[in-house]
Amino acid sequence: MISSDSLARSRACLKAIHHLAAPLTEPLLLMEVCGTHTMAIARHALKQLLPENLRLISGPGCPVCVTHQRDLESALALPRQRGVLLATYGDMLRVPGYRSSLQEEKARGASVQVVTSAMEALELAISSPTQKTVFLGIGFETTAPGTAAALIRAQRERVTNFFVLSLHKRVPPVLRFLASQKDIPLGGFLLPGHVATILGEEPFAFLAEEYSLASAIAGFEQEEILLALTALLGQITRQEFRLQNLYPQHVRPQGNPKARQLLEQVFRPAPALWRGLGELEESGLTLREAYASFDASPLVPPLEEPLKEDLQRQERCRCGDILLGRLSPPECPLFGRGCTPLRPLGPCMVSGEGSCAAAWRYEKKSSEHVGSIENTGSAQRTGAAQHTETEGRSFL
Amino acid sequence: MSILQSGHGGGGRLSSELIAALAQRFTSRGLASPEMEDCALLSGSSEGSKSRGISLDGFTVTPRFFPGGSLGKLAICGSLNDLAVRGVKPEALLLGVIAEEGLEQEELLKHMDDAAAVCASQGVQLVGGDTKVVPRGALDGLFLTTCATGTLMLPQAPGMTRLEPGDALILTGAPGRHGASIAACRYNLDVPGLESDCAPLWGLLEPLFALPGFRCARDATRGGVGTVLCEWAEGRHLGILVEEEALPEDTRVTSLGDLLGLEPLYLACEGTAVVAAAPEDAAECLKRLQSHPLGREAALVGYVTEEHPGTVGLKTSLGGIRVLDMPVGDPLPRIC
Repeated sequence: MISSDSLARSRACLKAIHHLAAPLTEPLLLMEVCGTHTMAIARHALKQLLPENLRLISGPGCPVCVTHQRDLESALALPRQRGVLLATYGDMLRVPGYRSSLQEEKARGASVQVVTSAMEALELAISSPTQKTVFLGIGFETTAPGTAAALIRAQRERVTNFFVLSLHKRVPPVLRFLASQKDIPLGGFLLPGHVATILGEEPFAFLAEEYSLASAIAGFEQEEILLALTALLGQITRQEFRLQNLYPQHVRPQGNPKARQLLEQVFRPAPALWRGLGELEESGLTLREAYASFDASPLVPPLEEPLKEDLQRQERCRCGDILLGRLSPPECPLFGRGCTPLRPLGPCMVSGEGSCAAAWRYEKKSSEHVGSIENTGSAQRTGAAQHTETEGRSFL
Repeated sequence: MSILQSGHGGGGRLSSELIAALAQRFTSRGLASPEMEDCALLSGSSEGSKSRGISLDGFTVTPRFFPGGSLGKLAICGSLNDLAVRGVKPEALLLGVIAEEGLEQEELLKHMDDAAAVCASQGVQLVGGDTKVVPRGALDGLFLTTCATGTLMLPQAPGMTRLEPGDALILTGAPGRHGASIAACRYNLDVPGLESDCAPLWGLLEPLFALPGFRCARDATRGGVGTVLCEWAEGRHLGILVEEEALPEDTRVTSLGDLLGLEPLYLACEGTAVVAAAPEDAAECLKRLQSHPLGREAALVGYVTEEHPGTVGLKTSLGGIRVLDMPVGDPLPRIC
């Protein structure tokens, strides 16, 4: 529940946003590059409340959505082998491969286990020494330090049946890629508070310095998102671009040195495949030589070439254009027609953080709903429940 | 239809699809009632005798002991609540036990103690049952099945067909406590004070049945409050508008939900119901609920509308509206 102070601050920001956007002659595009932002924006139905000439688009910030089809097929192939257990974060389960998903593999008897951390996967490995446990390393600089910590412990304890398929990705390289796309008229970035908590401010400074883009590191509460949008609009109307850290209670200028050191110790930057974007230089995290024995890649059996019809079906999925902000989810020809949360074709429709799933869940028919809100009685607040701010978010 | 996945048992859209396909084998032969509810009503055998309600439910929770309850307690509450929301006073119960070879007898007896305690508090008699032991590996520990029956205490059973535009919607407590407690156990998260809401609802709901404006109630089990609202909106082809700020909240559920990426409105409740009442009786309904220990947090949270048939809208604190859709399968925790 939101406190009345916070609500008042949100209203003030909203008013400022409308005021700042009014004189703009061109529609303004701002991109959020964090799935949690996408979800929060949808959850609070913020898009409806913003000026018409301000458009928020969801970038490649959902770890599930950016996973490339080829990497996904590797993940699916791993637990088909005898004696291999794949430990994964829950939201990878329903992502459709060409012919199957991890959930379907599991139903057919493959060993697939949902975990909430790499350490939990390592503990599975330790408790079943006769089985090879592979942790599916998905996520950005937020989840990668957890994977690193598990690998360091695995090495210290000489665990030989624990492996990681590292599909971890780095946010700054994809931001540079987006900033340099001439055909996407971006005005600025709402930067991911969680990633910045790890990396600090410096890795994002180039957006303002080299590309004259507005940029603000934002938290995830309604008022924090609106505050960051206000700041972005302020930079744009004044044409003074700089990185603003609007999440200073969590993001220190240097980030989290311990987590960065873990990343540095275990991983090195490497090219990585992004769904819809292809291969981007330095955008992935691969295991360093000292940890190569934990690399699960050699365990992946040779993959069959996908069938032509499977490729064609996948090609109709426009996840790539959606991740780049070229299309909004309802503009994809498959959105709601062949691709729904019940029968997803692309990962953007599966993940809780996916922009298609968010659009489906939170925006579908919302615009119709708004028209008649005045006609429906509004529920009165009852009871004297004490509303306290949500607490307990966890950061590394 | 291919193979079953765990999501088919999650209470959302996948479940609805599966159930429809199963029932079709009966409906196509004229062998099933068109309105299949969790609790079926059988008309009295003679003129003037009261109808009876009957309900069947299977229970397969992991872990079998959790803060606020156990499989044994859950199996009784679940079945009795299916009756209670239809105005049927629970009287008698059949209990099916399917246990895996190797289960500690002491554990099984503990579940029976918990089950018996609920029966005692509700004046329900165990009138029969069945017990099977299956080879190790054939199932995970212990499954319980309960069939409860009782007398309909109203002239007509309350049901969603009675919903009308303008009706008020009341939630009897904060959503998601059972689902959140189970998730906390499964993912080894210690949330002090978080407990399942598992409880029998007859005592809470009975005072409402005398109100002429009482429309219907539903215990928000699998799929949670959000799923109940979606089923009502879709089933009656009416709109529903809920105010987020009016929803009772357990901050422990919210915190856990934030941590795991789970939405409290889609997490199961086992002792919390959604109640609909005509506008003129809404205040009295709320008053009666709040005077019961299980209903202290009860709140008026929304209305049935004529607009947007089939859709549930949630009005946020800033005045935006988002659509509350039925979940697909099991709630799965999110990455970060």
